[in-house]
Amino acid sequence: MTQAQSSALASSRRRLWAWRIGATLALASAVHLLAVWAVPRVIMGRVLSAAQPEKTTGVFLPPMTDASARRIVMPSPDLLYATCAFDVSTTPLRIRADPKSPRYWSIALYADNSDNFFVINDREAVGQPIDIVLIGPKAYAQRPKMPAGSKLIDSPSARGLLLMRVLVADYAAEKSVVEAARGSLSCEALR
Amino acid sequence: MTGKATSPRRIGWSTLAGLAGLVVLAATLGLGSAWLVLKRSDGLGARVGPWQANLLAGSADADLYTRARVAVGGLLALNRAETMYYVAATDSDGQPLRSRCSYRVSGLPPKARWWSLTAYAEDYFLFPNEQRRYSVNGLNAAINEKGAFALISGPSDPGVAGLPWLPTPGDRGLMFTLRVYNPDGALQASPASLEAPRIERLAGCA
Repeated sequence: MTQAQSSALASSRRRLWAWRIGATLALASAVHLLAVWAVPRVIMGRVLSAAQPEKTTGVFLPPMTDASARRIVMPSPDLLYATCAFDVSTTPLRIRADPKSPRYWSIALYADNSDNFFVINDREAVGQPIDIVLIGPKAYAQRPKMPAGSKLIDSPSARGLLLMRVLVADYAAEKSVVEAARGSLSCEALR
Repeated sequence: MTGKATSPRRIGWSTLAGLAGLVVLAATLGLGSAWLVLKRSDGLGARVGPWQANLLAGSADADLYTRARVAVGGLLALNRAETMYYVAATDSDGQPLRSRCSYRVSGLPPKARWWSLTAYAEDYFLFPNEQRRYSVNGLNAAINEKGAFALISGPSDPGVAGLPWLPTPGDRGLMFTLRVYNPDGALQASPASLEAPRIERLAGCA
C-alpha cells in the first residue's frame, strides 16, 4: 500500500468514526427527550387505567391512605381521596359535590400530562355546592346544553383525572363527616 | 461467482450488526441519562436549609423536565397557589437521611392554614409500621410554650415524653416532605422565607 493509499484509508476511517459518534449522540439525544416527554403521560395513563369508578357516580373511593397505598407516589396520610378518571372527547362531564366538612378540602383537575389545570377549595367555595361542566379541547357534534348555575371549565386534554382531597385529623372519630363529604362527589356524562 | 455472491452479504451483516450496536448504545445512553436527570431532586425551586421547595409541581408552566420529575417523585401535586411542597433528603448537616438513624425534627409551624410533615422511604412510599403512624401535622403536633413543634423519627420509639415518634423501620433511604396548604401570601411570594425545620441526627445510629 502506498503512503497516499494509507493516508486515504486513515482519513476514511476517521470520517466513519465521526459519523458513528455523531449518529449515536443524535439518536441518544432523541431517545432522551422522548423518554422525558413520555414519562408523565405513561404514568398518568397507568393511573387513569387503574381507576375503578363506582357505576352510578363515576367516582372511585380508595380507603384511607396507609403504607399499602402504592399506586401514586407520595400519598398523603392526612387526606381522604376520591377520584374520577374522565374522558371528555365525545361528551362533557358534569361534576357535582357538596362537601360539608369543617376542614380543608379541595377538588383538583389534572390533564393527561399531569398538569393541574383547575382547583377549588372549601374557602373558595364558601359553603356553596360545586357544579362544574368540563368540556374537552375539541368541539362536540352537538352543542352541550349548559345546566343553569354550572361553571364551565375547559380541559386541555380529552382524558384526565379529578382528585378530591378531604383533610382528616382522626379518621375513626370523623368517619361519618369525611366520608359524607367525599361521597357527595359525582362525575356524570352530560348528554 | 460464489465469491461475488457472498462478499456483499458478509458486508451487509457486518453493517447491520454495527447499526444495531449503535442503536443499542444510543438507547442506553438516552434512557440512562433521562433516568439520572429525573431521579435528581434538586433544581426544582428554592432551597432553604436541607429543604428543597418544588415550586412548579402541577403547574401548567412546568417545563418538560420539571413535569417529568414531578411525575416520578410527586405525581398529582397541587399548584403553588394551593400547596407548597418542601422535600428534605439530608439532615441539617448535609448527611443523607437513613431510616435506621433517629432524627429530631423541630421548628416553627409554617405560616399557613395547615401543614404536615411525612416520612417516606426512598421509593416515595410510606413506611409500613404497626402503629400506622406516618405523619405529624398542624392538627396533632405537640407545640411547646415557644410555639415550636418537634418530633423524633427512627426505627424504635425513643420514649421521649411529649414528642411524637414517626416510625421508620429497616435500613433504607429516607426523606421528609413538608406540605404547606394555603400558605400565607409572604411565604408564597418568597418560598425561601420558610423558617426551615431543623433535622438533627441523634446519637446511636443503629
